[in-house]
Amino acid sequence: MRLSGKSALVTGGRQGIGRGIVEAFLREGAGVITCGRGQRPDNLPDKCEWYQADVSDSDQVAALAAAVPAFDIIVNNAGVQVEKTVAESTDADWDLVMGANARGVFNICRAFIPLMEQGGSIINIGSISGHVADPSMALYNASKAFVHGLTRSIAVDHGPRIRCNAICPGWIETGMLDAGFALAADPKKARAEALQRHPVRRFGRPDDIAVIAVWLASDEAAFATGQFFTIDGGLTAASPLQPGLS
Amino acid sequence: MSKRINGKTAFVTGGAGGIGWAICKRFAAEGAKVICADITAPGDFPPENVEHRSLDIADEAAVRSAFARLAAEWDSLDILVNAAGIEIEKTIEDTTLEEWNRSFAVNVTGTFLCSKFALPMLRKDGGASIINFGSYDGFIADPGLAAYCATKGAVHALTRAMACDHGPEGIRVNAICPGYVDTPMLQSFFEGEGSGGGGKNIDELQQAVRDVHPMRTYGTPEDVANLVLWLASDEARYASGQLWVLDGGLSAQVQQMKL
Repeated sequence: MRLSGKSALVTGGRQGIGRGIVEAFLREGAGVITCGRGQRPDNLPDKCEWYQADVSDSDQVAALAAAVPAFDIIVNNAGVQVEKTVAESTDADWDLVMGANARGVFNICRAFIPLMEQGGSIINIGSISGHVADPSMALYNASKAFVHGLTRSIAVDHGPRIRCNAICPGWIETGMLDAGFALAADPKKARAEALQRHPVRRFGRPDDIAVIAVWLASDEAAFATGQFFTIDGGLTAASPLQPGLS
Repeated sequence: MSKRINGKTAFVTGGAGGIGWAICKRFAAEGAKVICADITAPGDFPPENVEHRSLDIADEAAVRSAFARLAAEWDSLDILVNAAGIEIEKTIEDTTLEEWNRSFAVNVTGTFLCSKFALPMLRKDGGASIINFGSYDGFIADPGLAAYCATKGAVHALTRAMACDHGPEGIRVNAICPGYVDTPMLQSFFEGEGSGGGGKNIDELQQAVRDVHPMRTYGTPEDVANLVLWLASDEARYASGQLWVLDGGLSAQVQQMKL
């Protein structure tokens, strides 16, 4: 097992990519704690501890840090999206998206970096949307660019004690992807066309992301820091203009 | 622990070099059958399941016949690693046309030829992984390495093009972009005039380079082999068309200052 003897905090492990990472870390022998805004989900694996905490609230994060042991691995996964342009976004949208995706990552890093030992690994969930814009996702795209910038800063400031990298998932089969397609005039057609734009001809699954999180968390990645690990089935390697698709 | 590429077949160019040899050994330890293709023989005795074959990847006839021979021996090929590369430690003013052409012949044309002639075997089993060698230098220039930097930029673009064209056939294509890795090529760079050493001796120069890295070290061939192994394995089944920088954090910073 590639993470045996290590301890990990994965934020937002209730569902989707976060849940995939929780399960992969458990399979590889790590002790795992996850957190989220609500009650413990019924189907969370028994071996995984749950803390109720909203990462956007620095008091709640400080309380979490006081209640748990230090970790070898931190995965900043918790995030939300609001499907709006800048012109449509409200102050409440800003607080929600930047609160969870930007301030949340900052809060967790500020609270836990001082506790981490030599060889610690922080893995932030960035996004291809931090490099290229998804339409009608203005605040989400910007929040992920923040995550990318913070990732480099932590790598530079806290190496060689701590490594920090970001995973940039492409389009992963989760509730968030469905919400994106729901914006299209014809969601079914949009989904079929989007598939054609993926060289590997499928969308990702949470486990496709979890496997690179395992690698980055493990000692095999000892020389990897300050970088972005994009897993998108080839989507961003290809031009968005493709004759034959509308 | 189960082996991570058990039963797979792999062809590694530049397999006798610092990084290539680490990849061959790691692949064999994880259960693969490996051809170590290189113009020179490895310095060490090959472990079980690693076979050295002499190959100049810039020679079309030689590459064609190497893969024809392989097709007669193996049903399919699962992994192609295009690790062979050379570097000329010169600015463009000092680089001769012959040196320029040789750089492109090995680093770019060699990657093209091996991929081209391996494709029929790679697509046979319904899925395969090609791992090209780009470089940190394909994004950011090191002094006195003009032709090398240009070839690595070309490999990055070729990687995306191949991923786009052959993804629907189940072939994933990625490039590894190492930073400073402890190999004979790095030693040669330090010894060259262009490395910006400005009067430092080699030990001082090496320490200065380590100190600029957020990880305060440069990489080992094994560090690179770890990521190549991951990209070669089925775990990486959704990873394609990407450039995987492994540089100890070097390119995450603008410039390091003593604080």
